[in-house]
Amino acid sequence: MSSSMQFYVSNLLVYLGVDVMACLGLNLQFGVAGLINFAFIVFQAAGAYTAAVLTLGPSTAMGGFQSYIIGAHLPFPLPFLAAAVVGGALSLLVGLVALRRLRSDYQAMVMLVISLIATTVVTNATGLFNGSNGLALIPQPLKSTLGLSPVGYQWAYVVITFVCTILVWVVVRRITGSPLGRALRAVRDNDAAAAALGKNVTQLRLVAFVTGGAIAGLSGAVLAQFITAWSPGSWLFPESFVYFAAIIVGGSGNNLGAIVGAALVPVAFLEATRYIPQFGYPGLVDALQWVVVGLLTLTVMWFRPRGVFPERPQRFARPPGHGTETKT
Amino acid sequence: MTPPLLSVRNLAINFGGVQAVRDVSFDVVEGSITGLIGPNGAGKSSVLAIVSGFLSPKSGSVTFDGNEVSGQAPFRLARLGLVRTFQLSSEFERLSVIENLLVAAPGQSGERLRDALAGRWRWRDQEAASIERARGLLDRFEIPAKEDDVAGDLSGGQKRLLELARALMAEPKLLLLDEPMAGVNPALIRRIESHLLALRDEGLSMLMVEHELGVVERLCDPVIVMAQGQVLSSGTMAELRTNQEVLDAYLAG
Repeated sequence: MSSSMQFYVSNLLVYLGVDVMACLGLNLQFGVAGLINFAFIVFQAAGAYTAAVLTLGPSTAMGGFQSYIIGAHLPFPLPFLAAAVVGGALSLLVGLVALRRLRSDYQAMVMLVISLIATTVVTNATGLFNGSNGLALIPQPLKSTLGLSPVGYQWAYVVITFVCTILVWVVVRRITGSPLGRALRAVRDNDAAAAALGKNVTQLRLVAFVTGGAIAGLSGAVLAQFITAWSPGSWLFPESFVYFAAIIVGGSGNNLGAIVGAALVPVAFLEATRYIPQFGYPGLVDALQWVVVGLLTLTVMWFRPRGVFPERPQRFARPPGHGTETKT
Repeated sequence: MTPPLLSVRNLAINFGGVQAVRDVSFDVVEGSITGLIGPNGAGKSSVLAIVSGFLSPKSGSVTFDGNEVSGQAPFRLARLGLVRTFQLSSEFERLSVIENLLVAAPGQSGERLRDALAGRWRWRDQEAASIERARGLLDRFEIPAKEDDVAGDLSGGQKRLLELARALMAEPKLLLLDEPMAGVNPALIRRIESHLLALRDEGLSMLMVEHELGVVERLCDPVIVMAQGQVLSSGTMAELRTNQEVLDAYLAG
């Protein structure tokens, strides 16, 4: 493989890992727990920002050309951990307000509004977030320690990304395969009936929302430290819909579906097509990407409404000798 | 004499300007199937919703098993043993039949995040016991669907049986049944009746809202009649049939 090809493939693999993490997180919230989190991208952006300001040095360095808070210059993997914590904490805050008393359609509206507010706040609070310019020159984890060639470091980052992705997969699998996952699906299907059977609906929703938010934060950190930049323009509310499209296409409520959806929608349709040469009016190709995502979602909902890999109930093996009387 | 399992005193609730329930008091004694009947709009479902915690009363008290419980959240009441079913079928439609029951098992450690994350060994034994109990209930209620079938695909009657089995999985002391026979064919009504009588004979107490007076006559003793948000009368169904006030309320309603 030529080195430019290696850059291309490793780039795609990192994006794939980030999007798989994000889709697993959103699937936990939306597919499993039924929470329509149209602000998902905000929690990813918050994690990305956290990782950025924790790895950057003081903002007065380099002539103070960008302004931000903290600048702690923390070593890997602390910024990743902090990003997950911030994503979770922010979710807890939002969840305590939005998930307690509101019906799910109103929850969705609140989330959408939060997404819009977040963009406005970030672009205008220039002291905190450096306005619409965002942050640049974010240091990369272990770059000087490893001392690799640029291509070599690309692959090292792929490994870091996949380790995080596997960790997220294990967390999500353990939740969805446990009685907790079952209770979340029950709340999604009928919250009143779940409450009548002793389930604390608000607490269950918060568990899913906060865990999903922490995963979103981590995925944002992995992305920001890879591209070494963070700007509010790349975390606008339509990005949440890309992840929703991925989950609907892959199969809502199914972790494997979330992974397939991540590979199909954000990676295959959005990332890979960035390399298509521009034609027609400026911006036409970018706009067509959105059209294609919309058409793909509609097609899947029409022909396969539960996605490529629909949710499957858990099956339980019969104990050996069931139904026969055993004498000792 | 032992105090009643459920004791409702001077319950009242308004919806806007409508006094749906005004000054309702009654008891449910342990081991009884108490019927709650009355014309549409009498306030029966509101009373059931208040007793199960889904509505907060404007005034009055609900005492269950020695505890004052009015205004408590439904999930807390369910954990105390006060479990309700719903008028419309309320299965978890994308869960399998057996998963519907397993959700209801009380005190599952695997529902806590830290135990779920720690892994299967933390909740495996408890789960195995729940599965066995759920299979026992499915056998008992003779639900013809397979345990792995998705609950949303069941027929209306099967959903009724499933909901009853699921409520029992929650280990109730008092079962609140909101029109359990609504939309059920006569043959299945008889089967559900015999299940309910068997459960009563095993010591389960029930409070049941039901429109089908034949069912009420065969199952319930005592029966409480409500009209216009108040208790009109109570007694056995045979006594109530001769009560002119009750007849008027039903004919007028």
